[in-house]
Amino acid sequence: MNPLYIIIAVLVVVLIFVIWYISTSNKLNRSVIKIDEALSGIDIALTKRYDVLTKMIEVVKGYAKHEKEVLFEVVKLRSNMSLKEKNEVNNIMDENYRKINLLAENYPELKASENFKTLQQAIADVEEHLQAARRFYNSNISLYNQLVVTFPSSFVAKKKGMSQRDFFEASEEEKQNVKIDL
Amino acid sequence: MSVEELEVLRKKARNRSLLGIFIGIVLTVFFWIILESPFFIFFGIVLGIIISVIISSKPKREFTLAFKNTYVLKSLKGVFTDLVYEPEKGLDRSVIADTQMMYMGDIYSSNDYIEGKYKDINVVQADVHIEEEHESTDSDGDTTTTYVTIFMGRWMVFDFNKPFKANIQVSQKEFSNNKVSNWGSSIKYKKVAMEDQDFNNKFRVYAQDEIEAFYVLTPSLMERIKKLSSTIKGSLLFCFVDNKLHIGIYNNEDSFEHGIFTKINEEKIMNEISTDIKLITNFVDELSLDNDLFRRKV
Repeated sequence: MNPLYIIIAVLVVVLIFVIWYISTSNKLNRSVIKIDEALSGIDIALTKRYDVLTKMIEVVKGYAKHEKEVLFEVVKLRSNMSLKEKNEVNNIMDENYRKINLLAENYPELKASENFKTLQQAIADVEEHLQAARRFYNSNISLYNQLVVTFPSSFVAKKKGMSQRDFFEASEEEKQNVKIDL
Repeated sequence: MSVEELEVLRKKARNRSLLGIFIGIVLTVFFWIILESPFFIFFGIVLGIIISVIISSKPKREFTLAFKNTYVLKSLKGVFTDLVYEPEKGLDRSVIADTQMMYMGDIYSSNDYIEGKYKDINVVQADVHIEEEHESTDSDGDTTTTYVTIFMGRWMVFDFNKPFKANIQVSQKEFSNNKVSNWGSSIKYKKVAMEDQDFNNKFRVYAQDEIEAFYVLTPSLMERIKKLSSTIKGSLLFCFVDNKLHIGIYNNEDSFEHGIFTKINEEKIMNEISTDIKLITNFVDELSLDNDLFRRKV
C-alpha cells in the first residue's frame, strides 16, 4: 500500500478527531454558560423573594408588636454564594414565610389588610419565578451531567477538568406547590 | 327560521348547483361531439363549473347565512356571554401574523368570527385558511399555478391571566410551517428544551426568554397540553403573546358548515355544532384558564 495513502488516512482520522474534540468542547462550554445564566436567574428570583419577605416581615412586625415568641431568622444574601448556601438561604426564607403565615392566622386585621394581600400575591409570583429558574437550572444541569458522564463526551469533559454538578433542590413547600401549580 | 324554510333555501341552492353541473355536462358533450377536441372537452368542464358556481353562489350564501344565524347562533348563545357572532367576518390577518408563529403565505381568508366570554374568560375564534401560491414552468414554457395550504383550521385567542413578559411559541412537531428564523425580525426567539423529554419529543418550544418559558409552561400545563394533543385531531399551536394565549388547530376543517346536498337533521346538526363549540371551551376547561392562579395581578 502506498505510504502516502496511509499518511492521508491518518491525517483524516486526526482531523475528524480534532473537529469532534473542538465541537464537543464547545458544547460543554455552551452548557456551562447556560448553567451560569440559569444560576443568575435563581439569584434574581432569590433577591426578589428576599425583598418581598423583608417587606412582609416589617408589615407583620407592625401588627404583632406584642408578640414575643416570633423570631425571624436572619437572612444574609451575598454575591458569589455557593449552591449549597443558596439552598440554605432559600430554606430560611421558607421558614420565615411559614412563620409569617402562622402569625397572620392570629391577626385577622393583618390578613385582611390590602398591603399584606398585595405582598402575598407578590410572594406567590416570586415563588413561581423561583420555581421556573430552578427548573431551568436543573434542566441545564441534567443535560450537562449527561455530557460529563456519557462516553465519548466524558473524555473531553475529563480533559477539561469538568465534573458533575449538583441540582438546586426544591424545598418541601415548592414540591407541594408543583402539585397544584398551573 | 324554521326547518321548513331552511329546507326551501337548501333545496334552491342544491338545485341551482345541480343545474350548473347539468349545463357543464351538456357543454362537455356538445364540444365533444361537435369539435372532437380534448381541449374543448376540458373547456366545457371548466365552463360548467364556472356557471355552476355563478348561479348557485347567491342561494348557497343565503342558505349558509340562514343556517348559521339559526342553529350556530342559538348554540353559541347557550355557551358564551357578551356574544358577537359574524359568520362572514373573520380574524384580521395581523392577529396571526403578529404572533410570528408561521409563514403567512399569499392568500388569507377567515370566517365564522366568534367573540364572547366563557367562565368570565374572553374568547375570540375564527376559521382561518392560509395558502401559498406556487408557480412552476414546464419544458414547453407552460406555467402552472398551485396553491399549498400553510394553515387550515381554527385560530383562538384566550385571556391568559398569569402575567408574562416574553413571547413563547409551542408547536406540535407535525406542523412544519413554523417561522423559526429570526432574520429581519425585531423579536428574537431561542429554542428551549424543557425538562419533560416526552413534551420535547412532541412539541417545539421557542421563547424570547428561556426562564419565562419555564415560568409559563409549568409541569402541570405541559401535562395538560400533552393530554389535549392526544385527544384533538390535527396539529396544535400555542402562542403566548401580550398576556394572551393564541391557539391554532391545523385540522384541514371548516367548522360550523352544512352541505347543501345533506338534508337538515336538527338533532345531528345540534350535535355537530356542539362538538365544534366544545373544541373552544375545552381549552378553557382543560387548561384551567379560569383558575384563580391565572388571575393574579402583581
